Amino acid sequence: MIPWRVRQRLVAATLGTVVGLFLLYQWLPLLIMAVLSFTGPEGGTTFPMRGVSLHWYGELFRVQMIDDFKPPMARSVALALACSITTATLSVAAAQAMRARFRGSGVYFYLILLGVMAPGLLVGFGVALLARMFGLGLAWYSSTFAVHIVWTLPFGFLTMLAVFNRFDRRLEEAALTLRATRWTTFWRITFPLVLPGVIGAGLFGFTLSYDEFARSLFATGPEQTLPLVIYAQFDRQLQPTLYAIGTMTTIVSLGAVTVFALLFRLVKRRNRI
Amino acid sequence: MSPLRERAAVSYVLAAPGGLWMLVALVAPTLFIAWVSFWASRTFALSNALTLANYVKFFTRPAYVRVLGDTVEQAIVMMLITGVIGYAIAYFLVVHVRRPAFQLALFLLLVVPFWTSALIRTIAWIPFLGVNGVINQALLLLGIVDRPVEAFLFTRTGITLAQTSFYTLLATGPVVYTLRNIPRSLPEAAQCLHATPLRVFWRIVFPLTLPGVVIGQILVFLNVMADFATAQAIGGHKLAFLGNLVILLYESGQLTFAAVVGVLLMIAMLLGVAVLLKVVDIRRLGAP
Repeated sequence: MIPWRVRQRLVAATLGTVVGLFLLYQWLPLLIMAVLSFTGPEGGTTFPMRGVSLHWYGELFRVQMIDDFKPPMARSVALALACSITTATLSVAAAQAMRARFRGSGVYFYLILLGVMAPGLLVGFGVALLARMFGLGLAWYSSTFAVHIVWTLPFGFLTMLAVFNRFDRRLEEAALTLRATRWTTFWRITFPLVLPGVIGAGLFGFTLSYDEFARSLFATGPEQTLPLVIYAQFDRQLQPTLYAIGTMTTIVSLGAVTVFALLFRLVKRRNRI
Repeated sequence: MSPLRERAAVSYVLAAPGGLWMLVALVAPTLFIAWVSFWASRTFALSNALTLANYVKFFTRPAYVRVLGDTVEQAIVMMLITGVIGYAIAYFLVVHVRRPAFQLALFLLLVVPFWTSALIRTIAWIPFLGVNGVINQALLLLGIVDRPVEAFLFTRTGITLAQTSFYTLLATGPVVYTLRNIPRSLPEAAQCLHATPLRVFWRIVFPLTLPGVVIGQILVFLNVMADFATAQAIGGHKLAFLGNLVILLYESGQLTFAAVVGVLLMIAMLLGVAVLLKVVDIRRLGAP
């Protein structure tokens, strides 16, 4: 019989190896894509690299070579910001409503959650069909925005539900017994305490929308978002420009996460005092 | 009524915007797809007669039925793979990593690629899988094979390899959450009563994390069922799942038939989730 401690070590070592290999598995493709994006003008989409250059990044800014990616990128960022604010607002309202367990709240819960379960491609497909029936045009700021919220709201909603589930009701009750109005109680007591959750909901809104393409595919008009432009490249001859776009948009995503993380820490620290 | 109790009227007002949004942009379009799938004519008109012929057409074509089978099979394979790896990662993170700094570092290393765009990560797999790809170059270098293997790009193996890296963390997250909530005293009590570590795991720890496992499995299932981009990029035009079929039909103007495939995809997804939800009530998640 192997002693207990040794066995524990063995399990830890095995699991640790699994985690290590998985990390490699996650990072290696991204790192290699980043490295290959710096290949020389003669370079292809795999190793060996032919020299080191910024050629393919330069190519991105030369409009004729590839569909100009700057307007789509601007659209994607604008859309993501709008989704961030809308998701945070709607999910706070919806989760606050759920606290009262109103009649029909069970159905309501699943109605919101349906947004995660419904396959994105089909949501966009349905919206495209509806728009066609009513003779309405599709655009990134209307139909695409609508289907993105369908995707982001459930995440914000679940975040806020979890936050409210752990919320200490006595703090609100104390304010209410001291004759604060519900409005005042919400803004002075509840909201500051759940603010980290609200930031989380906003982060979901931003990043999920920024990367979304399944819902956008059928629902976006001629003015495309960045993921759609990238998706369109799948069918063409693969070029290192794609790696350059990939590396750049990854940096934007990570930048957004960092900004939200800093905000989150700021609020947490302020709440502690 | 106590002044401390939330009032229902206010709740309805607060709940309305989100609910209406879902009804207009999600429920209505979905129902409309279902309606279109029964249209007897290919012209786009509400006055179309309704028929079941479109569904009959789907199920009498072996090629289409095979796509349905492939999609479900891929989802089950991915659930098994991500379930095992995802649980192992979660268990290591919660049970074996004690130092908070190390825990945070590992967490970030895992989550950062997860937050990057699915499309970009798909693209990142392409230089790996090709005949001249990184995997083949590594295999040649190590002397494991003497000729490049063509088994990765344009194959199900390639799709599975890529999807494993995309979806494993979906299975990890909920398990981490439920593992954290297990009081230490429970496994300790079992150990005091001389249960073997394996028995402690299977009788105490695993059942308590089951809700997390099931939620993870639901997330993986839904994502794999709806995934078409991985098949598009890595499978080329040789392989298709139901999502690819919808796009193909949509692009060739066969809207009613695209709707049929869409409806079948949704039914398959709903059935899968219904089965998985029999196991746990997700509304309890997050409660203390």
